[in-house]
Amino acid sequence: MSLLASFDWGTIWDNRGLLSEGLWRTIQVSAIGIVGATVIGIVLGAVRANRIPVLTQLAATYVEVIRNTPILVQIYLLFYGLPLLSPHLTFTGFTTAWLAVTIWGGAFNTENFRAGFEAVPYRYREAGLALGFSSLATFFRVTLPLGGRIALPSTTNTYVSVLKNTSLMTAIGFQELTTTSRSISASNFRDVEMLTTVGVAYLVLAWSLSGGMRLLERRLSFEDAG
Amino acid sequence: MRRPRDWNRVISAVMLLAVLAVGIPWLWHEYQTRPPWWDPVQHQIIHVGLKETLRMAAISALGASVIGLVLGTLFTIRFRPSRILIRVYIEIWRGLPIVVTIFLIYFAFPRLDETIPHLPNINSLAAFQAATIGLILWGSAQVAEATRGAVQSIRKEQHEAAAALGFGWVGRQVYVILPQAARRLLPPLVGLLVNIIQNTTIAGLIGVGDVLEVANRSTDRLLFLTGSSNALAIYTYVMAVFFAISFPLTRLAAYLEKRFAA
Repeated sequence: MSLLASFDWGTIWDNRGLLSEGLWRTIQVSAIGIVGATVIGIVLGAVRANRIPVLTQLAATYVEVIRNTPILVQIYLLFYGLPLLSPHLTFTGFTTAWLAVTIWGGAFNTENFRAGFEAVPYRYREAGLALGFSSLATFFRVTLPLGGRIALPSTTNTYVSVLKNTSLMTAIGFQELTTTSRSISASNFRDVEMLTTVGVAYLVLAWSLSGGMRLLERRLSFEDAG
Repeated sequence: MRRPRDWNRVISAVMLLAVLAVGIPWLWHEYQTRPPWWDPVQHQIIHVGLKETLRMAAISALGASVIGLVLGTLFTIRFRPSRILIRVYIEIWRGLPIVVTIFLIYFAFPRLDETIPHLPNINSLAAFQAATIGLILWGSAQVAEATRGAVQSIRKEQHEAAAALGFGWVGRQVYVILPQAARRLLPPLVGLLVNIIQNTTIAGLIGVGDVLEVANRSTDRLLFLTGSSNALAIYTYVMAVFFAISFPLTRLAAYLEKRFAA
């Protein structure tokens, strides 16, 4: 007798349509979150690293507020709180989902990129300026390529967390992977099968994401280039 | 070259003072003219919710630190099977979203006896226990990873010197290696505590009455009784509560990191 005699593989197959839709939504939200967090991280990271007056203080406030409060509260505030401020700020589950992970990831990435940009030796920037590059050109041609590489390992952690945090959208009923599996097992009581499937899916996603980022790191590293 | 003078300290101070000058009187006014439902809600959040949050955070942080330190130290032994097992443990519990881990423990684990034959009947866990176990699994994986790095950063000569002095393996770890690794470990452990405090909110999803869940129920009740959930005010207050706890701790972690960086 097999160990998992009554593990119902069939129920996973029967619900493949719903599950893959949920998976797709998880991937979409994560992708938007990762891209958005990168943009916010680079812009605000540059603001922080260059200490641009007023903006740097605002960026620091944003980072500290997001990092020191649970993302679940942020999700509730976006979804249930903001509509009370103005009816125009009523968001769908999907919008709340990508907005929440983007804002959250952006705060962590601001710190990652700030550290990366600050690790670029000042003399490199001086060299860029001395060669006649404008300060913006110096940023894009010197600070970003060098600092971005330094920041890469820590941004990987942030991206994996963004992916994992999409599962919290189950709190607002957005039908991503976790919510979908809960809805299915609410009707067929196959909690073990559904949650195992979802767990394996998250592990595969998280491991491939961090594996891919490590590959990118190796491709971009200067040591291996020679 | 001397860098240009940084005026940002002055600007920060002015901005902070401006915010305080406007914010404190405004908050005071809001508090003085608060609606009658506010006091019971605040009382529930602090005296019921926060107590539960801190209790869960304390147990989870303790459990995660102990298990993580042991696993991380054991990982440094060059014995393949144990290393593989610990690696798998770390990768799984770090890779799974905490919600899924908690759901697995709360919803799937008690049903395992239906799936695997000849298993004794499994009683379902209380929500508090399930969530705490989930947080410990996740947290211990984080601590194990940090410990591995910290222990491996201690130079080999330290091991050899301790061995030459007659310490056994356990004595070597406890008296020589871990005290040195602790300097490197302390900042991430404080960071973990902050994360655990924030992640206790996930326990609310299976019905534990933590700060967020209590606030949640208050908004539901207010919506039912008064027609407005007042979610904006209540969740902002919850954010402030978490910020007041977490901010000093993250500052502490940053300070420790700088202090022990040398």
